Amino acid sequence: MFRRDTPAEAEFRMDVRTWLEANLPVALRGRTARPPPVELMPWYHMLSRKGWVAPHWPRLHGGMGATLNEQIIMTEELARIGAPQLPAQGLNHIGPILMEFGTDAQKAQHLPPIIAGTVIWAQGYSEPGAGSDLASLSTRAMLEGNHFVVRGQKIWTTWAHHSDWMFALVRTDPQAQPRQAGISFLLLDLHSPGIRIRPIKTIAGDDEFSEVFFDDVIVPAENLVGKLHDGWRIANALLGHERLATSNPQFALMALERIKTMARASGIMADPTFQERLAAASIDVTALSALFSHAVELSNQGQSPGPESSMIKIFGSELLQALNDLLIEAAGGHALTDKPIATDFGAVDVAASFLQSRRVTIYGGSSEIQRNVLARRVLNLPS
Amino acid sequence: MDLHLTSEQTLLRDSAAKFVVAAGPKVARVFREQDPSFAPARLCQAGDLGWLGILVPCSANGLGLGLTELALVLEQAGRGLVCEPIGLAAISAAALAQGHAPHPMLERAMAGEALIVPALQENVYGDNPLAPRMRVAGENGTLRLTGRKMFVCADGADGFLVSASGRDGPTLCYVARNAPGCMLATTQTVEGRKLSTLSLKDAPADLAPSRQSLRNAVDALHNLALMAVSAELLGVMEKAQEITFDYLRIRKQFGKPIGSFQALQHQAVNLYIRTETTRSLVFQVAANNDPYRIDPALAVAVKAKASEDALFVTKACIQLHGAIGFTDEHDIGLYLKRAMLLSSLFGNAAAQRRRYVAIAGLTA
Repeated sequence: MFRRDTPAEAEFRMDVRTWLEANLPVALRGRTARPPPVELMPWYHMLSRKGWVAPHWPRLHGGMGATLNEQIIMTEELARIGAPQLPAQGLNHIGPILMEFGTDAQKAQHLPPIIAGTVIWAQGYSEPGAGSDLASLSTRAMLEGNHFVVRGQKIWTTWAHHSDWMFALVRTDPQAQPRQAGISFLLLDLHSPGIRIRPIKTIAGDDEFSEVFFDDVIVPAENLVGKLHDGWRIANALLGHERLATSNPQFALMALERIKTMARASGIMADPTFQERLAAASIDVTALSALFSHAVELSNQGQSPGPESSMIKIFGSELLQALNDLLIEAAGGHALTDKPIATDFGAVDVAASFLQSRRVTIYGGSSEIQRNVLARRVLNLPS
Repeated sequence: MDLHLTSEQTLLRDSAAKFVVAAGPKVARVFREQDPSFAPARLCQAGDLGWLGILVPCSANGLGLGLTELALVLEQAGRGLVCEPIGLAAISAAALAQGHAPHPMLERAMAGEALIVPALQENVYGDNPLAPRMRVAGENGTLRLTGRKMFVCADGADGFLVSASGRDGPTLCYVARNAPGCMLATTQTVEGRKLSTLSLKDAPADLAPSRQSLRNAVDALHNLALMAVSAELLGVMEKAQEITFDYLRIRKQFGKPIGSFQALQHQAVNLYIRTETTRSLVFQVAANNDPYRIDPALAVAVKAKASEDALFVTKACIQLHGAIGFTDEHDIGLYLKRAMLLSSLFGNAAAQRRRYVAIAGLTA
């Protein structure tokens, strides 16, 4: 949106567009919920073989080593065709964290399968008693000789029942004050004995997330990332990556297209009041693209996203919900059906999209927690 | 978030920040009742610093810089409630410098010796700037303009860049303040600056130079005006927000600084989000557009967002101050009034959104 393509970039864009048109299965286009692995992973593998699954990873680790502009072009073209969201925990979270904090052995073991799409990762942070107050987490990891024994429970774990590995925050020192100083960052093989995973059905009707029970699970000591009790710092570095990734304007751009399709089908697109509100939403999407470009630019300059990423997360997620409000309005009485609505311009998922969007202001730290963080750490307001 | 600037851009911003130290709320108060409502000598000083020719090519003795540099200077002007119309003068100079031969007024405009401002708006609630009702007749050399422009910042102006419809579509013309048939009806605004209705009756004019390779001169100047005012609005909201956050840290009630209360903290974050998103939008658009061919959808988007957010922020700043914020004695009200003025110039947020509907094709 902000960068005119250079001739080389324009050529790259056309390459991406042509390849996506030829290779992305029609059944995977424009899906509201993430398709199950049996449908989604062949697409992941196809992107991987093409060398395009990790545009933001350096070539050293099998990524595309794409420039900022190329990353943005990829995002825009994926949005344009309605490509499904890939499982992001490996590509956007543990991958970059291992590159920064992992040992050589950890990198060698875990990075190639993420690129290849042969291993799916889950993030084990939230617990029944530790949601917004994440530092109160109590899943215990006791170091006994050369392994940890893990006991406890994680919850709201996206795709845990489809995953092979989990990166988790675990309590290694129950007495530590502050509580953050007794938390470590651990990699767990989800196929280990003593692990039980139960999918949880959401209000959107899918079972995207699960609860995971650990009953004296043995985890080799070399699966510790960074130093013992230093997990909080590592997790926070990672939250910056997560918030930046989830505020990619791709999702808002897709939502905008769905609204236009629905509004043309229902006829409300002719209403000046609706037009002006859609203009306001489009302008906010433009602002999100600017915010995102700005943050990625700083990231590429070596200024990794700090607490400011909370601001991007709030703006992006609240905008996505506002867009879904417009979608519901455009669909009128059709908004209640739980099936995609057929229009002359293609099928549009309305209720499912609206319901799905409730999660975005909750996961990765609720909007309220993000505001607390910003007030203290960026605005320096007193406590 | 920090901007990623070159060392030259950082120097420019620092020198603009130094310039506005001499401005600020105290000075802005003094000019509220004066005619003109700014210091002509300070405008010349901005000219000496090169800012009025910031977009003018080096070949025409300007600085030959881009929108990022313009925005950096105007952001500081907004922060300092600077009364001299640096932005309007700079974009008018840019318009006069287009074409193969610069306009004869260019040199004096760049020096700040002559103030030339755009006169583009004809409708109370905003209109299509590319279909002016102002008529132009005659050939170049003997052009005559007839019509009316509203909300012109004519205070202290020596001439106007007027949009008009001729045989070949919208045209940009230069009219001298003292031209026969040129009349101004001036009203005082709540902000202190005066706004005028410019009536032209067979007023002699000449064409502002335009290059065929570029966007239409009217469209180009209008989009540039939207960007310039938005950058100034950004500075206004930034400074108002800083003043307010300082107040939240020191004002005590219930035995604690009021900034420790979660309700006020969350509202403070809401202001911060508005300011940061406006800043990213202003500077991303600036970095990716040439001054004289800004993408109209982006120019309109920037002005819509800056106008709405600056009002949101400055209104909330009054509320967060409580009763003291409602007094004329406290400076925070000056920022609200400046935001009211700038958000209205060249069309308010709602007017921009209506234009965006047409530009982006958000129709049945």
